[in-house]
Amino acid sequence: MGKFLDKILERFKIYRIPGYYEKYDHKWTMVIDLDRCNGCEACVVACNAENNVPVVGKEECGNKRTLNWIRIERYVEGEYPNVKVKFIPIMCQHCGKAPCETACPVYATYHNQDGLNVQVYNRCVGTFTCATYCPYDVRRFNWFTYKRDEPLNQQLNPDVTVREMGVMEKCTFCIQRIRAAKDRAKDENRSIRDGEVQPACVQSCPTGAMTFGDMNDPDSKVFKLAKSQRKYKLLEELNADPSVIYLKRVMKDGSSATHEE
Amino acid sequence: MAHQQHMKSDISYREVNEDVVRTMTKSGVGYYIALFLSIAGVVFLWWLPWAYQIYTGQGVTGLQTPVFWGIYLTNFIFWIGISHSGTLLSAILFITQTPWRRSIYRSAEAMTFFSVLTAAVFVFVHMGRPWNFYWTMPYPNQRQIWLNFQSPLMFDVFAISTYMTASMIFLYFGSIPDLAAVRDRVTGWRKELYGALSLGWRGTDAEWHWLNKAYTFFAVLIIPLAVSVHSIVSWDFALSKVPGLNKTIFAPYFVVGAIYSGSAGIVTLMVILRKTLRIEKYITTNHFDKLGMLLLVMSLLWSYINVLEVFTGWYADTSFENEALKYRMFTPPYSYMFWLMIFTNTLMPLLLIFRKLRASILISLIVSLGINVGMWIERYLIITTSLPRKFLPYMWHDYSPSLTEISMTIGSFSFFVMLFLLFIKLWPSVSIYEVKEDIGIPMKKEGH
Amino acid sequence: MGKAVLGLFTYVDDMLAAADKLKKSGFSDVTIFSPIPLGHEIEHVLGERKNYVKYFTFLGGFTGFFVGTLLALGTAALYVLPRGGRAIFAVTPTVIISYETTILFGVFFTLMGFVLFAKLPSYKKKIYDPEVSIDSFGLLVDVSEADINDVTKTLKESGANEVKTVEEK
Repeated sequence: MGKFLDKILERFKIYRIPGYYEKYDHKWTMVIDLDRCNGCEACVVACNAENNVPVVGKEECGNKRTLNWIRIERYVEGEYPNVKVKFIPIMCQHCGKAPCETACPVYATYHNQDGLNVQVYNRCVGTFTCATYCPYDVRRFNWFTYKRDEPLNQQLNPDVTVREMGVMEKCTFCIQRIRAAKDRAKDENRSIRDGEVQPACVQSCPTGAMTFGDMNDPDSKVFKLAKSQRKYKLLEELNADPSVIYLKRVMKDGSSATHEE
Repeated sequence: MAHQQHMKSDISYREVNEDVVRTMTKSGVGYYIALFLSIAGVVFLWWLPWAYQIYTGQGVTGLQTPVFWGIYLTNFIFWIGISHSGTLLSAILFITQTPWRRSIYRSAEAMTFFSVLTAAVFVFVHMGRPWNFYWTMPYPNQRQIWLNFQSPLMFDVFAISTYMTASMIFLYFGSIPDLAAVRDRVTGWRKELYGALSLGWRGTDAEWHWLNKAYTFFAVLIIPLAVSVHSIVSWDFALSKVPGLNKTIFAPYFVVGAIYSGSAGIVTLMVILRKTLRIEKYITTNHFDKLGMLLLVMSLLWSYINVLEVFTGWYADTSFENEALKYRMFTPPYSYMFWLMIFTNTLMPLLLIFRKLRASILISLIVSLGINVGMWIERYLIITTSLPRKFLPYMWHDYSPSLTEISMTIGSFSFFVMLFLLFIKLWPSVSIYEVKEDIGIPMKKEGH
Repeated sequence: MGKAVLGLFTYVDDMLAAADKLKKSGFSDVTIFSPIPLGHEIEHVLGERKNYVKYFTFLGGFTGFFVGTLLALGTAALYVLPRGGRAIFAVTPTVIISYETTILFGVFFTLMGFVLFAKLPSYKKKIYDPEVSIDSFGLLVDVSEADINDVTKTLKESGANEVKTVEEK
């Protein structure tokens, strides 16, 4: 009897830990160096191809119903000819304290052992709450059933679900690639090597502005980059604890040029 | 204290029965035309567009990426708000034994039930995959995956289903003696129906005793419930991080707003009912006088909270909050709506300070309709001026409702009217036994 | 199968006087029919009734609180899905769920109490006069064959409009 009670008490203590996990297996993190980003949008294209993101056409784009999971935000300052353009790639920030996760009534989005914010398409009923609560506006909704004409349906990635009408979707940090790498590592009885997993956007970035890796590994590239003095997190004051770290762009005169300032 | 009379005291008990049964059995051509129109409205303005929306997808609405909530959620809150006065007011006035409650509470409670029903349908209307609606209900299943009880939407599911159940029980058990009275007066299918509905009520001392006790407890339970329901509805918004929505004042603000719009709804309804059912002798100007005072108080409370919002926003001076407030107050077309709302909900109810105007049916009707328009605008503004101005300016995008959404909004009003039209024919819309109580207990000796 | 006498009155005080008189002369089984609730007036004559419904309400509220807490915490522990950096057993949302279920079960149990004590619904044919749902106050007295006349007389003298002898089923 006493043992049983102890067991319950132990479980209870675990369930009282904020965030539940004492430590993530991997804390997947992305570092985006804005000094290197030239806004070519290769990441956007790569993401579309990898994740079966539908292309919605001109009209729906005008209605702000694009479905791309990553976007380059552009901000133009000043009048011609003294124009300054700033840009910042934004995708799901995989917040440690994600506002979207508590909002979902049906557990369609939750936090997994890798520190990823996971979206379960099959479970989603489309209450829009997660998207409303998201401070980064990165969640995308399937407004219609998007058809892919022949032969475009042949180019779908078989590793990624094609989403149904009426469900929410968002960047997954290419979870299919993470899974594959984990499986490989398990088969070969080793841990995942740094740089083994590369989401489509990171892979396609021509300037190498994006780096992806495990924050739990002190030898990883992201761990070292995250020590940079230029580091900041987007809308950090909201305490959502994002997993994406930006490195500020520093101009010639020493001023920084993130979109925040 | 003298017994306060709210109706003409020369009404006999028999007359009450006859009048109420008359409202249920005799209906003119106008009634059938209205019923037909409302049913047509429901089918063509609500269900057909809804079917179209389910088939095509949420894309038929005007919603887009930053504004995921629009007119559907506005309607949801609006109808929940309307529902707030009926049962809550009835319960409060029952416990405080306020005599003017007696002839108006039955239809006010029906209003509660029907508007909660309308609101509940809007939850499913705004869902992306409404055919999976039952996934939001707690039921045991094979996967052992239940529900996220930390979600504000889950609070909604619990609060609204509890509120709907409780207000239905409150309405039904308050009417049992009346259903029995109707059963004794009608013939044919009606006799069968009310015989079944009245549960074999005979009006014995034991039955009255237990009804009174149970009813008191329903009333006691419903008051904290009603307050929690609209708080929870406000938390759908207030528990987010969105500027303009994340506010501590939201729960009391919504509760006050709900009682305010609900009371205005009652006034509108009473004006229409007393005319169409010809029950002027039961619902007198005295009732409008009392309801007018209530409206005035709620109006002042509501305006106070509105002022507070600007006041704290101005002092805190955070950029996100400022942007949301400016967008709401000074950017057309929202600024027009905002100032119209201030006019109808803060300035116009001030007319009710004057006793003469309170007792005027026309003024009551105009003010109460104005308030409901204003309250609808309030909810619309809360959603559509906060969500388009979230944190990242790149994503800012304005919302305008599509035709489907507007049509369904009108359809929901038809739905409410349809339910109410059916109600006044199928249910005693004035409480027979409580009106009799108000007339007084017949005593041979004077000076009870 | 017993006999009963039903007297219909116009005035409440008449009826209560008659009831009082009959009670004093030993007829304990007296039922009053009325179109309106007569709370206090009746208590003087028939004695105070206990309010058992409140125990039901309390029990319901209590049950509801535990059901709500169990539902919110138990189902979270059944399939652990961490979300939003919150604990699996979080206090704040659980309180709200329990609050609602407290009220829901309170209402249900009160309803059960009412149905149980008021013995409703009952569709069996019982002694009833449709006039009592309008403006008559009925007084039903269970009597033995011998007392019918006495009781009828008492009722008439107290001011009953109509006195009927009815068969109790």
